[in-house]
Amino acid sequence: MKEQLQNEKACYFCVNNIDNIDYKDIHTISRFVNMYKKILPKRRTGTCSKHQRQLATAIKRARIMALLPFTNQ
Amino acid sequence: MAKNKDSKMPHYELLFIIPNKYTEDETKDVINHVHKIIEDMGGKKTLDEFWGKKKFCYPINHEMHGYYSLVEFDLEAEKINKLNQELRMSAEVLRHMIVNRAPKTDEQIAAEKRLLEKRIKKSESKKEEPKKTESKKETKTTTSEKVDTKELDDKLNKILETDDLL
Repeated sequence: MKEQLQNEKACYFCVNNIDNIDYKDIHTISRFVNMYKKILPKRRTGTCSKHQRQLATAIKRARIMALLPFTNQ
Repeated sequence: MAKNKDSKMPHYELLFIIPNKYTEDETKDVINHVHKIIEDMGGKKTLDEFWGKKKFCYPINHEMHGYYSLVEFDLEAEKINKLNQELRMSAEVLRHMIVNRAPKTDEQIAAEKRLLEKRIKKSESKKEEPKKTESKKETKTTTSEKVDTKELDDKLNKILETDDLL
């Protein structure tokens, strides 16, 4: 998983034409989270600045609604 | 321009959690109650989904399960604060999230469906593959898989620890 993300240089959301990142879409969002459930930096995932900002808010919203954990137990 | 914008009501999306103490039939009353609050304020409901019982990622009020429900609606921007407050005060709603968003177009819905179908196909193919291998080499695959996962976990832990030190 990690290697996959490292090799990706293009932004996942730009490639797939996703304008607004949905916080309810845990399947895609959980790809951008560490084993300790920390948000991965864009230098590791290749997401562009615009989408990285959206991603961060989406992950934080998902955490509030208990869709994603704050930390790994 | 501002006046024109005001004439169109903004679109919102509300996701709320109903506590586990209610049964699935009783949740319908709670959902209807929430819909009524929105409609009494002059909102227009456009979409309504019930996700059913789901497991939380962390305990909320010492409970691990709850019912998720989603509503999309148009409402005047000034009334959102009031709605937020009412939902926060009500004991029937454990937690809620109101998000301002553009209504989905038909194209987006179609694209989402395509993505979902792809995912389902992928997961099905993944499930089928290991079954075939297991039937051929029953004992060998099980032992090798166990070793592989352990090794992978150790490797991942080491890598992640070094990353955090950076």
